[in-house]
Amino acid sequence: MTATKQAMDAFVHETGGWVASQLEACTRCGMCAEACHFYQSSGNPEYAPVWKLELLRRAYEQRFTIFGGIKAAIGLDKRVTDDDLKHWSELNYYACTVCNKCSMVCPMGIDLGSLLHGVRAGLSAAELVPADLMAAVNKQVDEGSPLGMTSAVWDQRLEWVADEWEVEIPRDVKGADTLVVFSSIEVMKFPTNVAAIAKVLNKAGEKWTVSSKAREVVNFGFYEGSEEHTKLFINRILEGAKELGVKRIIVTECGHAYDALRWHAANWIPEANDFEVIHITGVLGELIGAGRIKIKPGFFDQNGNGTITFHDACKIQRKGGHIQEPRDILNVLAPKSFKEMTPNREESVCCGGGGGVIAIKAADAIRYKAFELKIDQVNKVGAKTVAMTCSNCRLQFTDSVEHFKLDWKVTGLAQMVADALVE
Amino acid sequence: MTWESVLEFARGPFFYAALLIFVAGMVYRLVNVIGLGWNRDRVPVKGSKTSGVVMSFLKGILIWPFIPWVKNTFSRNPLIYVGGGLFHLGLFAVIFLGTPHMLVWKSLLGFGWPTLATPIVDWLAAVAIIAMLILLVHRIVNPVVKLISGPAEYVAWLLVFLPMLTGYMMTHHLWFQYDVLFSLHMLTVDVLLIWVPFSRISHFIFYFFARTIHGQEFGKRGVAV
Ligand code: HEM
Ligand code: HEM
Ligand code: SF4
Ligand code: SF4
Repeated sequence: MTATKQAMDAFVHETGGWVASQLEACTRCGMCAEACHFYQSSGNPEYAPVWKLELLRRAYEQRFTIFGGIKAAIGLDKRVTDDDLKHWSELNYYACTVCNKCSMVCPMGIDLGSLLHGVRAGLSAAELVPADLMAAVNKQVDEGSPLGMTSAVWDQRLEWVADEWEVEIPRDVKGADTLVVFSSIEVMKFPTNVAAIAKVLNKAGEKWTVSSKAREVVNFGFYEGSEEHTKLFINRILEGAKELGVKRIIVTECGHAYDALRWHAANWIPEANDFEVIHITGVLGELIGAGRIKIKPGFFDQNGNGTITFHDACKIQRKGGHIQEPRDILNVLAPKSFKEMTPNREESVCCGGGGGVIAIKAADAIRYKAFELKIDQVNKVGAKTVAMTCSNCRLQFTDSVEHFKLDWKVTGLAQMVADALVE
Repeated sequence: MTWESVLEFARGPFFYAALLIFVAGMVYRLVNVIGLGWNRDRVPVKGSKTSGVVMSFLKGILIWPFIPWVKNTFSRNPLIYVGGGLFHLGLFAVIFLGTPHMLVWKSLLGFGWPTLATPIVDWLAAVAIIAMLILLVHRIVNPVVKLISGPAEYVAWLLVFLPMLTGYMMTHHLWFQYDVLFSLHMLTVDVLLIWVPFSRISHFIFYFFARTIHGQEFGKRGVAV
């Protein structure tokens, strides 16, 4: 029962008034299930958000409330067992992207995403993180990146990108204003994104740099739910930023990394507030708004892209607030062919690949099933091109497009902006 | 023992004892939760927490929870959302806007307020009772709600249902003598009052916490709640 004990201790540690008051508010109405793409696509009642939360509820009630303690003692409420933990590990890591859509639907407004992150904290303390995901975390601890982007690989890749697309990528420049931290997904799998962002920033005359120390923005500790690992990876970025003396940190197209760095880091590490943290989507909006870069109106109306739609990422749009910028940009780039899916903006349906789900082989079937909702949505607007601002979503899209043999073009917003730059 | 003395007990000492337990229990619950401590949020705000909270309550009370499609969810069974809304609407109308209940409040608080015409309250009470029955069926039939419901959920349902039922029967003089029904109404009300602090029916207090947090979280990111 040591796993149980570790998990329960972690749950108890997670539970302050903020968590407790929300657990108390739940009326067990089950409406949150309506929001969850994993429940909707599979019909499995165990994928209801409130049920994924069950362990945290039991831990709270049995440890902190008299009545809950009595109920557990006389057998009216089940105690948490090792088997339960294993089962809930699958429910939470395989079938939850921590997208927080459920919070929009809950009539009480419970911030389910944050509480579900708390469940992961307990599971990670009990060492019940799925093996694939844990391997990626460990790789990031050891090599600095879950995709094996060591310092040497990083050097090589960036040099190649600079060469191939003929862009300048300033490296380790002391005294630059802005540090740009790419995700290994971009550097290794979507290098065009790296080139595009470099091109845009150069064009705008931004004094920017990348850092060999802060070379990886991805934070697998945050997927895992381990505070220790999350902090470790955030600190690497902050150290790099400090060393170069920058004022702000731009997070590129990676959603959960942005969530961790922008909306959580300062509560763990006060020095995080020494820097302004901003997502590249916000930067693009700023640069275009201020006229520092110009884009060709209607550029994507002509180039045979068909109807273009935009996929909102849970951590950049719903939880990040960069909802309007992509619309403003797309309305300039493709005023005729840009069409919205429904629901969209903060209510958008998650792609199903976030939260580390895509890193877990055993979750493949669940993940593809959830993507079917996205296929429906895209097909309803008849789009042939799907743009987004998160390379994790993009990974899920490109992988699923192949799996389902779809004829869509999947692209990133930064890349579109770079392609349509007025030279 | 006559029904008269039962009624006297249920309206008198038992009622006040129940009220006391209700109030003390709720205070305990609140102190317990608040006492767990709150961390300060040091994250720089992008939008506005205040406007988030205001919107959260406006939407929470006026539009949501009861009109699901404004939230663009998959809405498989809107009837259930509406059922929950009608039940609470009826409940609040009866408790606050029915004349006999207002008089109870008046005796407790020292002041009263205008009430709705009896037939209107009556209709709303009937609607609430029917809505509760639909919710119960839903709880038993819907796989998700069934999964997340333990004995406590059914007990809570029953303890809210009984005063509704006896109250309605009493005003309509159904089947039993008025004294009997009034006694039963008061007894079930007393039991409900005692049960609230021990159960999820206390959600009406924590609702205000959850909606505030919701507003803060979305407001600080500058996202519509
Ligand atoms: C601020 C006040 C309140 C709010 C916002 C609120 C909200 C809710 C919501 C959203 C639900 C779940 C939806 C549903 O199942 O229909 C619910 C269920 C319920 N509420 Fe309330 N409620 C409030 C006050 C009360 C009060 C005062 C009572 C009883 C005295 C009550 C009794 C119940 C019961 C019994 C259920 C479960 C119904 C079922 O079995 O499905 N509520 N409430
Ligand atoms: C959960 C729901 C309810 C609660 C908590 C409740 C509570 C009470 C309380 C505390 C009294 C005290 C009366 C006194 O001492 O004078 C009362 C009386 C009364 N209730 Fe309710 N009640 C509920 C539902 C209903 C319903 C649904 C109806 C009818 C539609 C109803 C009809 C009445 C009437 C007519 C009286 C007063 C009788 C009289 O003073 O002659 N109640 N109720
Ligand atoms: S956070 Fe998203 S994936 Fe997780 S339970 Fe809620 S809706 Fe489902
Ligand atoms: S929607 Fe909210 S109140 Fe209803 S069961 Fe889910 S978490 Fe609980």
